[in-house]
Amino acid sequence: MTTTLTKPPADAVPPPPPKRTRISKAARAGGQLHAGPVAYVILALFTIGSLFPLVWTAIAASRDNQRLAQNPPPFWFGANLFDKLEVAWTDANLGEAFLNTTIVAGISALTIVFLSTIAGFAFAKLRFKGRGALMLIVVGTMMVPPQLSIIPLYMMVAKLDWTDQLQAVILPSLVSAFGVFFMRQYLLQALPDEIIEAARVDGASSWRVVWHVVFPAARPAMAVLGMLMFVQTWNDFLWPFLVLTQNGSPTVQVAVAGLGRGYTPDQSLIMAGALLGTLPLLVVFAIFGKQIVGGIMQGAVKG
Amino acid sequence: MRARTLPQSQLRSSRGTATTRRKAVVLTAVVSLGMGLLAGCADDGGDESGSSSGGGEGKTVITLGLFGTQGFKEAGLYAEYEKLNPDIKIQENVVERNENYYPALVNHLTTNSGLQDIQAVEVGNIAEVVETQASKLMDLSKVEGVKASGWLDWKWKQATTKDGQTVGLGTDVGPMAICYRKDLFEKAGLPTDREEVGKLWAGSWDKLVEVGEDYKAKAPKDTTFLDSPGGLINAILSGESEKFYDASGKVIYKTNPAVKNAFDLTAKAAKDGLTGNQTQFQPAWDTTIANSKFAAISCPPWMLGYIKGKSQPDAAGKWDVAAAPKPGNWGGTFLAVPKSGKNSEEAAKLAAWLTAPEQQAKLFAKQGSFPSAPAAYDLPQVTDAKNDMTGDSPIGTIFAEAAKEIPAQVIGPKDQIVQQGLTDNGVILVTQGKSPAEAWKNAVKTIDNNLEK
Amino acid sequence: MATRHDTAAPPVKGGAAPGRPPVDAAAAEAAKKRARLSRRWQRDIRWSPYAFVSPFFLLFLAFGLFPLIYTGWASLHTVELTAPTDMEWVGLRNYTRIFDDEFFWNAARNTLTIGIISTVPQLLMAMGLAHILNYKLRGSTFYRVVMLAPYATSIAAASLVFVLLFGRDYGMINWALDLVGIDAIDWQNDKWYSQIAVSSIIIWRWTGYNALIYLAAMQAIPQDLYESAALDGASRWQQFIHVTLPSLRPTILFTVVVSTIGASQVFGEPLLFDANKGASGGSQHQFQTLGLYLYEQGWVNQHLGRASAIAWAMFLILIVIGIVNSVISRRLRASS
Repeated sequence: MTTTLTKPPADAVPPPPPKRTRISKAARAGGQLHAGPVAYVILALFTIGSLFPLVWTAIAASRDNQRLAQNPPPFWFGANLFDKLEVAWTDANLGEAFLNTTIVAGISALTIVFLSTIAGFAFAKLRFKGRGALMLIVVGTMMVPPQLSIIPLYMMVAKLDWTDQLQAVILPSLVSAFGVFFMRQYLLQALPDEIIEAARVDGASSWRVVWHVVFPAARPAMAVLGMLMFVQTWNDFLWPFLVLTQNGSPTVQVAVAGLGRGYTPDQSLIMAGALLGTLPLLVVFAIFGKQIVGGIMQGAVKG
Repeated sequence: MRARTLPQSQLRSSRGTATTRRKAVVLTAVVSLGMGLLAGCADDGGDESGSSSGGGEGKTVITLGLFGTQGFKEAGLYAEYEKLNPDIKIQENVVERNENYYPALVNHLTTNSGLQDIQAVEVGNIAEVVETQASKLMDLSKVEGVKASGWLDWKWKQATTKDGQTVGLGTDVGPMAICYRKDLFEKAGLPTDREEVGKLWAGSWDKLVEVGEDYKAKAPKDTTFLDSPGGLINAILSGESEKFYDASGKVIYKTNPAVKNAFDLTAKAAKDGLTGNQTQFQPAWDTTIANSKFAAISCPPWMLGYIKGKSQPDAAGKWDVAAAPKPGNWGGTFLAVPKSGKNSEEAAKLAAWLTAPEQQAKLFAKQGSFPSAPAAYDLPQVTDAKNDMTGDSPIGTIFAEAAKEIPAQVIGPKDQIVQQGLTDNGVILVTQGKSPAEAWKNAVKTIDNNLEK
Repeated sequence: MATRHDTAAPPVKGGAAPGRPPVDAAAAEAAKKRARLSRRWQRDIRWSPYAFVSPFFLLFLAFGLFPLIYTGWASLHTVELTAPTDMEWVGLRNYTRIFDDEFFWNAARNTLTIGIISTVPQLLMAMGLAHILNYKLRGSTFYRVVMLAPYATSIAAASLVFVLLFGRDYGMINWALDLVGIDAIDWQNDKWYSQIAVSSIIIWRWTGYNALIYLAAMQAIPQDLYESAALDGASRWQQFIHVTLPSLRPTILFTVVVSTIGASQVFGEPLLFDANKGASGGSQHQFQTLGLYLYEQGWVNQHLGRASAIAWAMFLILIVIGIVNSVISRRLRASS
């Protein structure tokens, strides 16, 4: 389905076939060109820069307060990494927290992706009265500083008696102006008007257009948005901390907030908790990386 | 949330890593021993949670909302209470930092939702809670077995409203002494016996700063007399009966000579290089403990635990405790019971039990939180108390002496903001090259802006 | 973008039917059917856009509007967090006092400088990275996972590590600087160094994120554009400038807007960069941002009314910036 529907743009402006064969691979930029050695050097530096703080978190988690206070700082793992991780795991009851957070982040991400795609499509490609004004409202809602909204929002949730229930975290997180704006900008660029017209000529309803034209074309962006939203919801602290408790249904960030307590905060235990909070995301990226990246690549090959 | 004995496990591991890699095996053994102990504790915890998940149906569950430093569970108090009251099951929600805990608590109180059956309140917030949230909280003076005389007088009053409602029962207090390094004092030509050291500055903080000048003259390289300016100004202010508010509730920090004197003395000490250029409880400050960068620190009993947790193993036994120039209090917590809780009656009973002298003494033995119930001071857990850092010193009796002398202090709702301003936006600047006058100006500007509604 | 695809389509279909006179009953029947379809078509065209955007607005009405109204109302009152329903009317005082509030303007300046220090390098680096990742690469999946690793790290965890790395006395960065002969830097207390340090946390967390967004958009650029550019003899760099950048315009606009809004709200990083000094953003407020100042007034000092006014002032400033920005870009476009 994807193939047939994403093909039209290429057909709409068909380059003469002989040309395509004449162009050598080297002459093309973009997805097909191989990277040179400089690119690999830059990527290597970037990889080190990105991973070093994380690796060092693990190193710090494996050391104790005393070793962290010495010069030079530790560069390699100490012996207690797994012990600390284990203590952090049981102490913060992370198993249950992971489950809760997966539910919250999963539902939020999927819903946001779906709602944002249809709304973004409408804003990008459909004409209707009030479009400009409504879009301004969308962008405007992003400008409201979230730290303050949570006080009245909490008053609402308290009235609804939703404290310690996951919907108190899920439902407010669905208001994602970011997602709508993101999808609008992407579709503005990535969805040629000609395909929609072609579908219209075939008599497709708006809903069919969304299903058969917009979703396939938006797939790479949907994958990216889903990932971003999943991560964001996963890491959210202030709001879940206000509505959830550790004995009820905590998310990961709420669960690890109690780690390292005591008159002497155990720095390495806090680090271990921070690491455990991030690790599942990295594992998910690593496992599904291919699929997610595959989604992006599809757009490239067919676009 | 398994029980564990944090300080011990830390000390064990710290001993391990100070050695070379060759001793990694030993370290692993020590750590696994520590883990074994932890597992032992965890098993105890397992029993209680096991019984709850199995037969917890008919039980009354009481929840506690705590921050950082309580350690009831670690001291085994929940297990004990559950044994005494088989129908009760206790759960806790702990947040490491009060900065996260308290705003959420206020939000929960104002909306009457999301509250635990028992909520801890830090002494820095108790005045505000008494003033603004009393209507949401039970009067704990009416609970069976609770008597005002059971607590240090000032501790009781801090949690009692003007019309006599007691919204919180005191857990621990922080009577202050001066902890000092005997080895560094000796090198600087100062006496090391705690009686003699105490006499050096008895009755006056100016004298303490003078001793600091003496120390500096012959100080071992790269050390300062005191750890930080914040620690000093806090210690001085803690012994004043009036600091930032007067008895009528008016903010007087700017005009109170006691505050200005404390600020000036601290600024002078900072300017002369008698204090480290650190902010307390920052990772960088922790390293000055680990690396023995200062000779003395004003310290409540829990500070000894902190020092223990951050020190290198070879510092054990090198500390001692002398009386502070003037007694004062630093820290402490109250347990409050929201009226809206499902089990508020049972919760109040538990709060009373947790704060009874026997339990406070057990908590001190395990966690270093000093009892606020004078009856506990004669119990063996307090009289026999010792600390690895201070060797054979009878710290229990030393701190008990200090606790009895602490004056009743007027505390105000925004004490924390004022103190934070004086410390973090004030005296610390002197260590960064600002003049005391500039530092005072910066502090006052910050505080006034923060207090203004 | 101006093709009227949605209105262009129906006339082709609906318009064709009435154009031809009905020859017989069957044809009339067919025409009626077409007209019915056409009516449904019109309804669909007219209303489906609203149906598509309505979920967002319904959710916004449910969970976004009340906080907004409450905050706006609270900003006209003296009201404390300890009693959020107990309000005392003060009119615009919370706004007028902002004019003499040196802490507000200090925070506004810091927000601007930290915003620039963090956003500009971040977006440039992200663009470069996306460009590289858009090539055929060995291990491209690996780099994409690596790219998102910092973003996957919570602000709390990231700040925790960076505070240790930026430590004055025992931090790794000063240790490394010492190796090359540079004296220890007081990353928390020096104004510019502290802002650089805070910005570096932001850059670290968000560069890969923006690169991923650019990458997704780059891959939607039709290959043909590059092919014809290559045929015209454009070098790689020229292809980047003349094909990639123009095609990415909506996405670049998106990242700039989002980063600007994000930069205006930065508060977690500076809050945790010196957590022991509360929310004052350093002892001389040297890295206190507006977001942090708002947090300090609302959550630490519990002045809900003042904090609400600050939030609305931030909002208004952003709108002004947005208007100025669009005027300038319109001028630029007109002149070019």
